[in-house]
Amino acid sequence: MRTLFRLAFATLLACAMLLPVLSVQSAHAADKDTLTYSWASNVGPLNPHLYSPSQMFAQALVYEPLVRYGKDGTVQPWLAESWEISPDGKVYTFALRKNVTFSDGTPFDADAVKKNFDAVLRNAESHDWLEFIAQIDKTEVVDAHTFRLTLKNSYYPALQELCLIRPMRFLSPSAFPDDGDTGKSIKAPVGTGPWKLVEIRRGEHDIFEANENYWGEKPKFKRLVVKVIPDSDGRAVAFDTGVIDLIYGAGGHGAGQIGLDTFRRYAEMPGLKTDVSKPLATRNFALNSKRFPTDDLAVRTAILHGVNKAAIVKHIFLGVEPQADTLFSPNMPYCDLGLAPFTHDLEKAKAGLEAAGWKTVAGSEYRMKDGKELALDLCFVGNDSLQKTVAEAVQGDLKRLGMKVRLVGEEADSFYTRQRTGEFGMIFGDTWGAPYDPHSFCSGMRVPSHADYQAQLGLPMKEEIDRAIGEVLVSVDEDKRSELYRYIITTLHEQAVYLPLSYMTNIYVHRPDLTGVDFGPTKYEMPFDSIGRQ
Amino acid sequence: MLKYIVKRLLLLIPILLAVSVVVFLILRLGEGDPAMSYLRLSNIPPTDEALAVARTALGLDQPLPVQYAAWLGKALTLDFGRSYVTGNPVLGEILYYLPNTLKLAGFSLLLTLAISLPLGIWSALYKDRLPDHVTRVLAFTGVSMPSFWLGFLLVWLFSIHLKWLPPMGMGTMSHMLMPAVTMSLMSLAINTRLIRGNMLDNMHARYVLYARARGLPERVVVGRHVLVNSLIPVITAVGMHVGELFGGAVVAESIFSWPGVGRYAVSAIYNRDFPVMQCFILIMTTIFVLMNLCVDILYAWLDPRIRLEGGTRQ
Repeated sequence: MRTLFRLAFATLLACAMLLPVLSVQSAHAADKDTLTYSWASNVGPLNPHLYSPSQMFAQALVYEPLVRYGKDGTVQPWLAESWEISPDGKVYTFALRKNVTFSDGTPFDADAVKKNFDAVLRNAESHDWLEFIAQIDKTEVVDAHTFRLTLKNSYYPALQELCLIRPMRFLSPSAFPDDGDTGKSIKAPVGTGPWKLVEIRRGEHDIFEANENYWGEKPKFKRLVVKVIPDSDGRAVAFDTGVIDLIYGAGGHGAGQIGLDTFRRYAEMPGLKTDVSKPLATRNFALNSKRFPTDDLAVRTAILHGVNKAAIVKHIFLGVEPQADTLFSPNMPYCDLGLAPFTHDLEKAKAGLEAAGWKTVAGSEYRMKDGKELALDLCFVGNDSLQKTVAEAVQGDLKRLGMKVRLVGEEADSFYTRQRTGEFGMIFGDTWGAPYDPHSFCSGMRVPSHADYQAQLGLPMKEEIDRAIGEVLVSVDEDKRSELYRYIITTLHEQAVYLPLSYMTNIYVHRPDLTGVDFGPTKYEMPFDSIGRQ
Repeated sequence: MLKYIVKRLLLLIPILLAVSVVVFLILRLGEGDPAMSYLRLSNIPPTDEALAVARTALGLDQPLPVQYAAWLGKALTLDFGRSYVTGNPVLGEILYYLPNTLKLAGFSLLLTLAISLPLGIWSALYKDRLPDHVTRVLAFTGVSMPSFWLGFLLVWLFSIHLKWLPPMGMGTMSHMLMPAVTMSLMSLAINTRLIRGNMLDNMHARYVLYARARGLPERVVVGRHVLVNSLIPVITAVGMHVGELFGGAVVAESIFSWPGVGRYAVSAIYNRDFPVMQCFILIMTTIFVLMNLCVDILYAWLDPRIRLEGGTRQ
């Protein structure tokens, strides 16, 4: 018996000693030709005209738009070298870039553009959310390199919406299914972009190769490996152990690449390169102007003065997301309006409540008016730790004003249902970010199933705001457009319907051997092509 | 024996039917809306129109009984529908990931047995001496430590600090070690104590006394008589461990990015991918029932005193 045990333990010991032999050197990502990145899921079939499960960042690697959203918020030429807009704003004539081919060698020309537009229009109902698609009246091939688009009405954001990653990017005609209906499937993901998708291993990784035929500047890496890592802590471990080269994307647990605390840790570690992008969207609360007690402007104003955003940004967003004082960041088009922020000022908030008749009552922590307590519901996604922490901070801040905040944490779908039905006092929301801000977001304010519509419903000038939004979208006069945006955004600001919290940003972390890492102009456009290794 | 097995297998049909009804109802009576999840995943604002389009596309606009009947009709031909998220046939997706999980669970089970058996015997032979104390501490640690925590500790030690083992993914044997240890430590600890306890009980049994009286060498007494008799309850435990291993796989696969069915199920739950969840639960139910059946058969084979219902030992 004893010999048996000695044998067993000798085996165990030997196994333990073998561990280092099986070690991870091979797992190290530092291969000269390969950039290793990670994403929460596989990139999907990459049909350019469809949505989930295709991942936007990957669609943007393979497919390109006619025009591109620049970092300064302007629209820049891309597959279209130039364009002309008719004086009535309805006819767009695009001069296409010559000598562009799809990665399989098929030429990119006006026929290919028309084929793609028509395929998208064939399934117009799946793109209902996008006004631009609904506005398209006619598509025409003028000559091999000229494409003409006619809209039903003048719709100024047409160019901005052409910049979107989906659905208006271009698949090689050779990859179209036989019946031409890309709404079901495609033969292969073939685009004009700098990368080609060459391998999918479900649950493990996707591999892209640089497109040798690319018309623009070719990627510096030959291969891009995207590992499937669903968990943000797992991603941090993968970075620590050299399995991946780069962390890039939104911060924060859940949908983010890594938690903000993990990002902070990396930012403080010597020998790593980290950065935070310019504001990409705004995290805010919508305050319900139709519901008691936030139907009272004095209450909404008091909330805006009462919440200590500086503390929230410092302690919860750990400085990764800067403080937001306006619904749209001033770097968004038409949004640099010099609006005066609602500063954190408890005395001002209290004075405003007093003046509006919200009095403190002996024996009660909370203010009352006409026998009713100053109390409201703050709704958030229960398992979103960031939202929960912010909600608790807001609850504490507003208690100091004598305002009772009931926290309603629910699972995501119930939360979104509340956004749609308006059953909230305060509710979390994000603007859609570049390139949707401000036009698409404002356009959504007219739709009853949006929290914004519900929150604004009690405003005396709601109809006027909606009319101005309708007008701004079809306006062909730049000055008039600026004026209308000034009216819309200033009114919403003064009416205190939004409590802007912070500007959402992208983050990156990498070791110093990578060069050329920079932020793309929108959340999901990642400039992998400019990244190289020393 | 054969009759008994056939009967048990037939019993699977009503069990699966009942499970499918319950799962179908629970999923749909909850607050969640897969159409909303689908739109969220697609970055499409959930307007009423977009929701209606998504509901029709996912077949959610039909009344519940119609939805169930349609699902059941297809399920009978092993068509469990398409995933709301990927659009691929569900069964194909699950069968794609299942072998990876089976590999991991099989290795974990081997690990559990290979370590708990010698440790259990060792601590029984050296009761209340150092080996027994060592295994006791090990067992308590194993039972008390949540597996996700253990997983992170292992990664921290072996991947980040010592750089011995790869922190994630699938490939070589070394990729399998940490997830397998994470999954098996609790079963291993329980098994060790179970074997020790059974061995000690049996050592005082009368047949052991007789065996010794017959002058059998200690090796034979312990090895052939005590050990074999101590293993019978362990088989029941192992049957249950298989279930635990599949449950543990959900955690371990998520931590170690192991492309298995557990991780796939977790993402399906997050995304309210009903067809995937239904098919996953049915497959797990089948595995559980079949494992229990295996345990019962093994029992009868190992212990002649146990007769299977409705027949004599073959």
